Amino acid sequence: MSTIKLDPVTRLEGHLKVEVTLDANNAVASATVAGMLFRDFENMLLNRPPRDAAFLTQRICGVCPVPQAVASSKAVEKIKGFKPNLQGLMLRNLIQGANFLDSGITHFYHLSLLDYIQGPQMSPWTGGYTQDLRFNATDTQTLTNHYLSALQIRRKANEMAAIFSGKLPHAANIVPGGVTALPSATEITNFRNYLNDIQSFISSTYQSDVNMLASAYSDYYNVGTGYGNLLTFGVFDTNTSGSLLFPAGTVINGTVGAFSEANIKEYNKYSYYSSPSGQAPASGTTTASYGKSGAYTWLKSPRYNDTPFEAGPLARVWVSGDYRNGVSVMDRHMARYVEMSKLVSNMQTWLDQLTPGASGFTNIGDPVSGSASGLTEAPRGAIGHWLSVSSSKISKYQIITPTCWNASPMDDAGNPGPVEKALIGTQVADPAQPVELLRIVHSFDPCTGCSVHVMSPDGVEMSKFVVQPLGK
Amino acid sequence: MRINRRDFLKWSVAAVAALKLEMDMDKLNTVMAAETDPPVIWLLGSGCSGCSISTLNVTNPTTIEDVLQNKISMKYDSTLMAASGESAMQALENAANQYNGQFILVIEGAIPGGASKNNCIIGEQNGVPLTMYDAVLKYGPKAKYVVAAGTCASFGGVAAAAPNSTGCVTVKSLLSGKTANPVVNLAGCPVNATVMVQTLLDLILTGVPSLDSYSRPTKYFNRTVHSVCPRRETEEVSQPGKYGCYEEIGCKGPGNLSPCPSLKWNNKQGWCIQSNYPCIGCTSPAFPLNPVISVSSGD
Ligand code: SF4
Ligand code: SF4
Repeated sequence: MSTIKLDPVTRLEGHLKVEVTLDANNAVASATVAGMLFRDFENMLLNRPPRDAAFLTQRICGVCPVPQAVASSKAVEKIKGFKPNLQGLMLRNLIQGANFLDSGITHFYHLSLLDYIQGPQMSPWTGGYTQDLRFNATDTQTLTNHYLSALQIRRKANEMAAIFSGKLPHAANIVPGGVTALPSATEITNFRNYLNDIQSFISSTYQSDVNMLASAYSDYYNVGTGYGNLLTFGVFDTNTSGSLLFPAGTVINGTVGAFSEANIKEYNKYSYYSSPSGQAPASGTTTASYGKSGAYTWLKSPRYNDTPFEAGPLARVWVSGDYRNGVSVMDRHMARYVEMSKLVSNMQTWLDQLTPGASGFTNIGDPVSGSASGLTEAPRGAIGHWLSVSSSKISKYQIITPTCWNASPMDDAGNPGPVEKALIGTQVADPAQPVELLRIVHSFDPCTGCSVHVMSPDGVEMSKFVVQPLGK
Repeated sequence: MRINRRDFLKWSVAAVAALKLEMDMDKLNTVMAAETDPPVIWLLGSGCSGCSISTLNVTNPTTIEDVLQNKISMKYDSTLMAASGESAMQALENAANQYNGQFILVIEGAIPGGASKNNCIIGEQNGVPLTMYDAVLKYGPKAKYVVAAGTCASFGGVAAAAPNSTGCVTVKSLLSGKTANPVVNLAGCPVNATVMVQTLLDLILTGVPSLDSYSRPTKYFNRTVHSVCPRRETEEVSQPGKYGCYEEIGCKGPGNLSPCPSLKWNNKQGWCIQSNYPCIGCTSPAFPLNPVISVSSGD
């Protein structure tokens, strides 16, 4: 058995390490995926006003700050029994949607593509693996040009969001009660101009590039298949009565099932925490214990019905019925394209529903006490915030981010996490250039900033509980 | 004759100084970043990558594809680089040795210290895990310039917010007395893209800019948000989401030095107060306060 260690895995947000063992035929026999950063976010939220959490939790991840603000705001609103008006929901959709478009373009072109082509021959694009590059010189040049033009498109998606959010990363105004922008007719037109540009990039350039990738690497429909279990919390309100563009649900053996929050638990036998394992997110605790025997990561293992589930665009489009081909590296790329294509055209519809000058914000104030969850989706998958308030202050806060689902370690029963499972069985052609492993890991779009998970129980001495943070 | 990028830049500066002109960035577009130029090494510690993303969003003085191809030579940047694993960590070591005393070290995120150094490991070198803490101590003294990108690296920020169980420290405190030039703090959560990229170009072109007592360039951090806020003359309002001045609901603009009202964000598409929420003081050493701002609760 030989070992391959990739530390750091670059081209993702944060600090991720992958280690695999190969059998005599160079197939992956076992794999561990580890988050190497702990930030202790949940502790810093304690004893703060609930409204502050939308600002602080955005700082978990500069790549997808918006879903954190939305999840946090939803949790506060749920305690208050409040739902934003249509203007507020549409503004959130447009800002969150823009964040999805930015993240999706960045993922395909800037985080993944260099696993399949050689980029410009200057740093930071030199020094990558040269194993299994299949595109001819012309196609490579085309894709490299698109890598560079996509830098402009992802930037424009951020600019588009900032029209209503003030700025990105870290939106200024997504708060409990809605969104405080008062969009003028000029701003709506400005947003639409950006949206049209991005939409045409997606329907022309991105579509043809992802298809080119899928045909050159069609064998990757059989690589990185993993468990095949998919999970989504649902996202993008289409009206004020709770209908979602991408509904919540699960997929097991290709079959869509209902989602119930009550089925979530988190395990930490292999994580650097000494706190009890197997708790529901609203009642778990987290005590940091770096170097704990047998542990290898700062990420915990969230499980649904005690089973590993994969989160992300593929889960969303499978449940919504927009794409149901398979679960693999290439299906993840295709699903992301299918989703962005649907999203960008729905954003046109949501933009039509804005009323110039109307408020999408109600001043609801802080809740005095209560508990609730705020569930939504980040580009890379299901995100949940669990909030408890007493005496108008946060008494407990816990977050499960998408990368916690995907890049989790083994659970207490020994089931590897979804990325680990997807790596196992992979044939590595050249162990000195294990590009297959990178392609699999990158197809999940991991973000360890987002692998925060933290909490502290009511009535327990805070200093004993370290929340867990991120493992980037 | 073909001149290299650095000579071209020197020539540009001399010409600009002689003619008392504004720098013409278009001229710089014609030169390719040579592999021999002073490179940038960008390390991520306990942060969210928001400063990286913000930098990718730059439009003024120029856009990122131009920056990376023509203006700076980015030798290590875990978000963008092609290399992974050992070859990435070797690229870091090689660049620091080859350009010893020449390169610009950018640090994003705070640095877990004390007993918590292992809370942030940036990779393995020769089979040994390298903590962010040790990486900064290893490469900081070799750099010509050290830039703290964002409020976490500059002042601790969200990474070091109470109770700071991860023992996060700032770049300046960790490298105190160990750097060739003063650490430059580019505060902001995240750093404003123009402040970031223009400062890198300023370092290459002219050296360390004038700094305030918090080591922020006075060029950008010389006025409070409030002193140039377009809402100064407007009526004070009692809640966010209404057009007006937010002084009575805790706006941090009056005490917070930042270029936001003039530079704005995202190619000038917006900024916080324009989106009808008070400034939360993200460039301040005290950020984030508890509460972040003192908006009246309304209930
Ligand atoms: S909104 Fe804030 S920065 Fe602007 S004038 Fe009022 S107090 Fe000053
Ligand atoms: S307006 Fe204030 S809170 Fe907003 S980015 Fe500027 S300094 Fe930060």
